[in-house]
Amino acid sequence: MEMVVTGKIQMRFVHCLISIIVALAAAPSLRAQVSPHVTADQAAKLQVPQPVVDISSPVTVTAAFDPPTAGVGQSVYYRVAIDGAGEAAVRWPGSISTPRELKFGPVTQGQLMEFLGNSFRPLASFLYEVKPAAAGHFTVPGFMVMVDGQPVQIPAATVDVDPSVSGPPPRRLMLEVSATNVFLGQPLRARVLLPASPQNQIEALREVEFNGAGFMSDLSTVRQTVEMTGINGRSVPAYIYEITLTPIETGPSMLSAQAFAAGHEFFGTTITARVSIQGGPPHYVFLDSNPVQVNVRPLPAGQPASFNGSIGTFTLTAPKLSTNRIQVGEPVRLTVAVRGTFDRLVPPAPPNASDWEIVPDNPPDFSFTLIPLSDTVRQTPAIPFSTFDPSNSSYVDLTIPSLPVAVTSEALPTEMPAVVDAGTAQGPPLKLGALSPSPGRSAAGLVPPQLRGGFVCLQIVPILAILGLWQWDRHRRFLEAHPEIVRRREARRVLRREKRRLRDATRRGDAAAIVRHAANAMKIASAPRYAAHPQALVCSDVLNHLDDADRSGAAGETVRKIFAAADTRFAAAPQMQADLAALQPDLDAVLLKLEEQL
Amino acid sequence: MRTDLPNEAARQRRPTSKKMSAAIVRIAVLIFEVGRRCRAASFGGNIAKIAVLISLAVLAFSLANVRTATNDWFADGVAEYRTGQFADAAEAFENAAVVRPAAGTFVNLGLAEWQRGHAGPAILSWERARWIDPFDKSARENLNFARQVTQLDEPQLKWFETLSIWLPPAAWLWLAGASLWLAVGMILLPPVVRRQKAGWHQSLAACGLCVFLFSLAANWGVVSRTNLGFVLENNAPLLLTPTRDGEMISTLTPGESAREIRTLGDFYLIRTESQTGWVKREQFGLVSRE
Repeated sequence: MEMVVTGKIQMRFVHCLISIIVALAAAPSLRAQVSPHVTADQAAKLQVPQPVVDISSPVTVTAAFDPPTAGVGQSVYYRVAIDGAGEAAVRWPGSISTPRELKFGPVTQGQLMEFLGNSFRPLASFLYEVKPAAAGHFTVPGFMVMVDGQPVQIPAATVDVDPSVSGPPPRRLMLEVSATNVFLGQPLRARVLLPASPQNQIEALREVEFNGAGFMSDLSTVRQTVEMTGINGRSVPAYIYEITLTPIETGPSMLSAQAFAAGHEFFGTTITARVSIQGGPPHYVFLDSNPVQVNVRPLPAGQPASFNGSIGTFTLTAPKLSTNRIQVGEPVRLTVAVRGTFDRLVPPAPPNASDWEIVPDNPPDFSFTLIPLSDTVRQTPAIPFSTFDPSNSSYVDLTIPSLPVAVTSEALPTEMPAVVDAGTAQGPPLKLGALSPSPGRSAAGLVPPQLRGGFVCLQIVPILAILGLWQWDRHRRFLEAHPEIVRRREARRVLRREKRRLRDATRRGDAAAIVRHAANAMKIASAPRYAAHPQALVCSDVLNHLDDADRSGAAGETVRKIFAAADTRFAAAPQMQADLAALQPDLDAVLLKLEEQL
Repeated sequence: MRTDLPNEAARQRRPTSKKMSAAIVRIAVLIFEVGRRCRAASFGGNIAKIAVLISLAVLAFSLANVRTATNDWFADGVAEYRTGQFADAAEAFENAAVVRPAAGTFVNLGLAEWQRGHAGPAILSWERARWIDPFDKSARENLNFARQVTQLDEPQLKWFETLSIWLPPAAWLWLAGASLWLAVGMILLPPVVRRQKAGWHQSLAACGLCVFLFSLAANWGVVSRTNLGFVLENNAPLLLTPTRDGEMISTLTPGESAREIRTLGDFYLIRTESQTGWVKREQFGLVSRE
């Protein structure tokens, strides 16, 4: 029993020991996450050493005349070079003390950064063109200037002016411009030349700058070459620095150039002439050029709205589309080729078109990407473009015309697959219907008649009809209650007819008809009073209708005669006709009286 | 390529023909008056009859002219559609619909818009076709198809609106008018014409009143449906305020139905199935608004 217990304890101890050993063995491989470690050499590879600008070294100054010996009236240069200071660090005096016999021009100043292998060192230079007016030995005394707040001594410089000396002129730059009479904004090409030395040694130029107000230089157009060029009638090699300048102010302007002759530092220069290049470290010499006058004229008035500053003699070829059948949203490229000589070409700005999105391609490409936004467009938008032609001082309209296009839309599906109903039956496929062959049922408008006033107004018609019927029925009932009104109305109507017949008979002279119609008329006029048929009346009935005076008077006599004639109308016709003619006025009066009583 | 009348010119055509018709009617009345006076002066009574005949002939000619113009646009649209010029076809059908709204014209306009990829205008056109002619099978089938493709539901209608779909809007109005006056007539006319009120008189009056009440509900449904509209443009924004830079609540699907609540400037306040907001006028079309 004791052995068993001891064995269990031993087993537990062994398990614990194995666990500790396993844990210790696995510990190195179970490290926590750490930040990526960059070794020193890797960090050094990432760091790019930047040269420092050396401003701690002592400033050294040189001042000298170039050339040190000159003839009277011959230009010489008084050049001061301050090595170790930038142009901005030097507080150059406004005037310096000079001998009266030396005529100093305005100062020209410039600077560059010399590269000394592991550092840059600034070099400022000041240059005066001097014309000696008399012979002699002249000295420009030394003077102090402040450099970075510290006084620095400019040493004295001497020049010997000897009338017998006629050496070569001092080295200077030559400036040539392509045009001296230009319009505002019309670019011109400027060439700065540094001819090779008599030993055919050529030097590069650095820090070329132009002096003159109202010009903007385009550094992207710089071209540096060493080639043969004609100077004073001779073909000599020269370093040429070319650039495009754009006048931005009108009026006459003096333009000059300045640069440092930089020895063999030909960076980006094309050399086509046979020249020798000086070896050794470069010796930087500050130079300037002769000034050139450029006259800048303003653009004439009346600029078109589409003029964007393009100047030159242009022609545009017919515009071309990459395709003329496009879908909505599909880009199409519109290309135009420009021909001619142009000083400045600015592609036209895309116009605002609601149905097109117009994206100009990168200048100087003369092309556009057009994207139709609707399938209703039928042509590309015209792109307004005008240029100025300096050769005839006029504006030229070169608007890019519209081109016809067919734009379609991406159609929606016109058929759907069959729908499976309840997993068994398959319904018919859904399809878009066919065109309707005729307009079909139409309407006066989409606004329903319920919202229009017309139908309500139309209801007046049945209301009026019912009111009319009601009124008619009321009137009818009234007439039924008063039959004499109907009889009188009928009598008046028939009486008018008989009187017309009577007039006709009188016109014809028909005695029998006169008698018959006169008697009838009297009966008709008297009948309503008796509520009897007119033919049932006799003479006495008519006479009773008259008042007493009339009955015994002429009216009554007329009535009797008429009725007597009617009773004997078949006898003594001629005599009766004569009597009737005499009775006519009385007959009319009787009928009028009878009619008045109706 | 079409270079003739644009849409706006077609819109101006209908008022012109209306003015022309009014002028013709005035001339006819004038001629009739002259004829009547001539008749009174014993110059003869046939002048008035001739004047009326001439007037009617001119009026019929002008109406036929309008109809011919409609048919011209319609025929142009059919021809353009068959050549695949769907944009031109849609323009022609739209002009035909402006001159004379017709169910077939709207069906074809919907087809042209569908072929152009404009689901919203297509659904609106077919709804307009059904508005004019609820029995138009082609419009109904096209709407079913379009809603299957776009996964859109039909607009939710109230019972009286569903009732109003059974007949064209004008038919409900005429039915209401006719049934009302039939009932009134059956009640009022027998005594007027001195007839004993019979049982069938009363039956007709009762039927008329029933139909009238029934059609009143349908007419109310027609009026209620006039604020029903459909989204026209894809991803039309539903705005919180009726301003150009208003905050967007959501975007709408073309062909989605909504109810116009009111109008403010260039915006409609609409209520969709789930939300309310403002939408630009050009992005939403009402069925019953030209």
